[in-house]
Amino acid sequence: MTGTLTAPTPRGGRIRYHRVLFHVTATLVALLFLAPIAWVVLASFRQATDSLKPPLPPWPTDGFTADSYVRLQEFGQSILHYTGNSAFVAIGTAVLTIIVSVLAGYGFSRYRFPLKGLVFVLILSTIMIPFQSILTPLFLLLAKMGLQNKLIGLVLIYTTLQLPFSVFMMRNAFDAVPKEIEEAARIDGMKGIAMLTKVMIPLVKPGIVTVGLFAFLNAWNEFLAALVLLTDQDKFTLPVLMTAVRYGRFGSVDWGAVQAGVMVMMIPCLILFLILQRSYIRGLTAGAVK
Amino acid sequence: MYFRTVSGAAVAAALLVPGQLAAEEFSIWVRSDGSEFMPKLVEAYNARGEHKADLQIVPVNELVQKYAIASAGGSAPDALSLDLIYTPAFAEQGQLRDLTEFAKSLPYFDSLSKAHLSVGTVDGKIYGLPFSGDASLLLWNKDLYERAGLDPEDGPSSWAEIQEDAKAIAALDDETYGFYFSGNCGGCNIFTFAPLIWASDGEVLSEDGKKAMLDSPKAVEAIDFYRGMVADGLVPAGSQTDNGANFFAAFANGNIGISPSGSFAIGALNNQYPDLNYGVTFIPGQEEGNWSSFAGGDNIVISAGTDEGKIPAIQDFIEFAYSPEGQTILAQNGAMPVRGDIAEEALAGLDERYLISAEAMANGRTPYTVVFNDLINSSNGPWVTTLNRAFFASSEEDMRQAVGDGQAQMQSVIDAAY
Amino acid sequence: MIEANPSDEAAPPTPRRSRKGDWMGLVYVLPAIALVVVFFLVPLGMTVWMSVHDWPLMGNPRWIGLDNYQRLWGDGSFWQALGFTVLYTLAATVGLMSVAFALALMVQSEGRATAFYRTAYFLPVVTGFASASLLWAWLSNVDSGLFSPAAQMLGMTERRVNILAEFTPAFWSVTIMVIWKMAGFFMVIIMSGLQAIPADYQEAARIDGAGWFQRFRWITLPLVRQPFALALILCVAGSMLAFDQFYIILNGGPSNQTVTAVYKIFNESFVSFRLGYGAALSVVLLLILLALSVIQLRLLREKGADK
Repeated sequence: MTGTLTAPTPRGGRIRYHRVLFHVTATLVALLFLAPIAWVVLASFRQATDSLKPPLPPWPTDGFTADSYVRLQEFGQSILHYTGNSAFVAIGTAVLTIIVSVLAGYGFSRYRFPLKGLVFVLILSTIMIPFQSILTPLFLLLAKMGLQNKLIGLVLIYTTLQLPFSVFMMRNAFDAVPKEIEEAARIDGMKGIAMLTKVMIPLVKPGIVTVGLFAFLNAWNEFLAALVLLTDQDKFTLPVLMTAVRYGRFGSVDWGAVQAGVMVMMIPCLILFLILQRSYIRGLTAGAVK
Repeated sequence: MYFRTVSGAAVAAALLVPGQLAAEEFSIWVRSDGSEFMPKLVEAYNARGEHKADLQIVPVNELVQKYAIASAGGSAPDALSLDLIYTPAFAEQGQLRDLTEFAKSLPYFDSLSKAHLSVGTVDGKIYGLPFSGDASLLLWNKDLYERAGLDPEDGPSSWAEIQEDAKAIAALDDETYGFYFSGNCGGCNIFTFAPLIWASDGEVLSEDGKKAMLDSPKAVEAIDFYRGMVADGLVPAGSQTDNGANFFAAFANGNIGISPSGSFAIGALNNQYPDLNYGVTFIPGQEEGNWSSFAGGDNIVISAGTDEGKIPAIQDFIEFAYSPEGQTILAQNGAMPVRGDIAEEALAGLDERYLISAEAMANGRTPYTVVFNDLINSSNGPWVTTLNRAFFASSEEDMRQAVGDGQAQMQSVIDAAY
Repeated sequence: MIEANPSDEAAPPTPRRSRKGDWMGLVYVLPAIALVVVFFLVPLGMTVWMSVHDWPLMGNPRWIGLDNYQRLWGDGSFWQALGFTVLYTLAATVGLMSVAFALALMVQSEGRATAFYRTAYFLPVVTGFASASLLWAWLSNVDSGLFSPAAQMLGMTERRVNILAEFTPAFWSVTIMVIWKMAGFFMVIIMSGLQAIPADYQEAARIDGAGWFQRFRWITLPLVRQPFALALILCVAGSMLAFDQFYIILNGGPSNQTVTAVYKIFNESFVSFRLGYGAALSVVLLLILLALSVIQLRLLREKGADK
């Protein structure tokens, strides 16, 4: 808007015209991107009889109802149970990833030890190898360890997959902390783990949030490994359960329940992202700088 | 005198086999399809207080995988109610216990479901005994028949009649269709489509399961019969991508005239769609008067590694399932009884449509192959991809091309296994 | 913003010469090493080991040398899957990169409105492939979905068309879903390059009389080359490993035409339980991906050098 005030009139008209055109286009594109999400949000509150019909219009025509969520609740154990499984895996992965990558990041940033360079490159280079290609042996390995069909097995695998990104992030975060701060704390008698937890961790908090957020979202949404490694329905995470719902049972598929399930899967991610947007974008662009 | 002999034998048996008196606990799995009848059967058995069956219900799609993993880790269940088509594959891998002696000792052995036994027998040894039945049938919607001016009590009894009736019903309005099948579901089509071929003296697989016969004349004619109905617009567009998710619901929603289905649908429709006015008949052949059915369901098997001490208890459980009480529990909960001599007794008082289902079961067939999963059930296997291509082919030539390709692919899957 | 500071890796802020120091650093790094070794390096080695065996799920593995690789060579369905994966990668990459670039140009400036646009375009990224695929499976359904009934209602088609039944519409439906879901991700990466362009470059060029296209060609493009190349590498690698969307929406259909390389490996290993053969396929896919990454990195380096 400021442009129109300062620019001479003949060009001002063109600039205003351009700006309006830009905002109209950008808004239309935004609507296009938001439409599928809006559609499923609205459709998930339709009546059971409507859920078989096309979502035209998407909103419930005869009153909002949570019926679809109630029917989803009847699948297997209960949707809360599976949400709990997913939450366990996602939070477990986030916590373990934070612990392991903070320790490793600190070690790589502040210590010198034999083969340090090699080990760092080794951890980072696993990002080049798609985990899909090692899924078969992972399955056998977990079966041998008694971790197949256990949520904790998934947590360990997801954490490993997060390590290249997370260790890199945390190493850089610690590197950015001026060594004078550490020296001052050392003079105060801090050392070892206390130095890490009391002095360093508060300083690298943004990095920790980013690492935890990525770990949480990736674990929450992961599908293939969960599909292969979980064989007991009680252990299913949401993506695996919802695929079963989408295939229906006894030869009938309940699209209303699918919509409700998509909501249960999406909403936590959307909320987390909207709250922690800055940390998320930081993670992405830190990767870009690499 | 008689009394003394019997009790004496019992005492002797008890002394010789002390384990038989002790209450044994054994584990048994069932696929989720059996989650109606199985818990009730086990509950009734455990209530007798002799032995204890510990039941676990396993999702149908994971049963093979889960059993395989458990078996590899030495924690396989003692017994398993197994989709009968997997019996040969499991037996040939040495996973199952030979039950021949026990089976032959049953006084009613001769009246047990032949279809179950034929796939339960490998190299002359019986590894799987009939447990529960599910036969394929044809359903028709009586209300739609009436609206279309057809006789609502007269279901179709030949391919031509199916097509004619379907045409009349499809003509009713845009939302109503004549015929439905799950066009992208291998399991559904071996269950409901193959009987059309069998009932016309055709084959899908050779008797020993070593030769694919999809390109045999009757099979091709049956495929063309479906293709014709698709081309005439008698089948909803959703059929082409239905991987079984809509197998039951499409007909249940009431806008489909005719659909092949199974005995399970009778129980499910009666419970969930009590207002639907439908009839049940056999899946007919090309000519009137012939029919066939896929006799499906579960075999009961015992893991090869099961502790000897538990065997008598498991056998006791199987005999309980075969008793009139057991067979009645099955019948009342949507599974067909597998003992022919008392089936009628078990089904007494139930909807007469169950009786048609029992007859279909008794005369049904079950194709034999050790590669059933790869060949037929897998959603990317040659059976379903070929049928899908052929049913929805735009010309007869394309259909024949698809069948030719599919025949070769099926044969190569079979050849790789032998 | 956290700075990448790779140069001081060899020179830690407080060098320690004592043996204890050496040992301590390793202790901090040990959990990470343990995870990577147990859940990555060991399975990686096992993949190669398994690939030279006939490895059923039940029963004993049998050494068969290179038989699996020989068989793979003649396995039409694997090459078809790989061919389809390449086709999809091309379509998704071209689509994603052009949409993402356009979006990045739209949202590079600061301001409340652009911040909103940025968030809107980015929102689908955080939904996860499984939920996005489930959503799309519904929207693409012929009876209960949105696309076919809407097309019919608008008079574009006479009857309801089952878009998932034919290869071309099914393929584009999934590809459009992926563009919808991932464009925001690459937009942010490319945007980070655009924002690094000093505003006075553009201004100076404008004063010199350079037109929009000239400024784009000679200032914008060279400066976003680096982040664009990174986006390209991530996009190609991700697309080559596609599985969720084709499994959930299409089941690999119609007629197995959308079975991707990972899907094929999944089928061999976990549907047919030919674990050894699945491992051999994995090794081949792995080598192809490594080769692709190396080629792309090399191209990127050359381009960087001639700048």
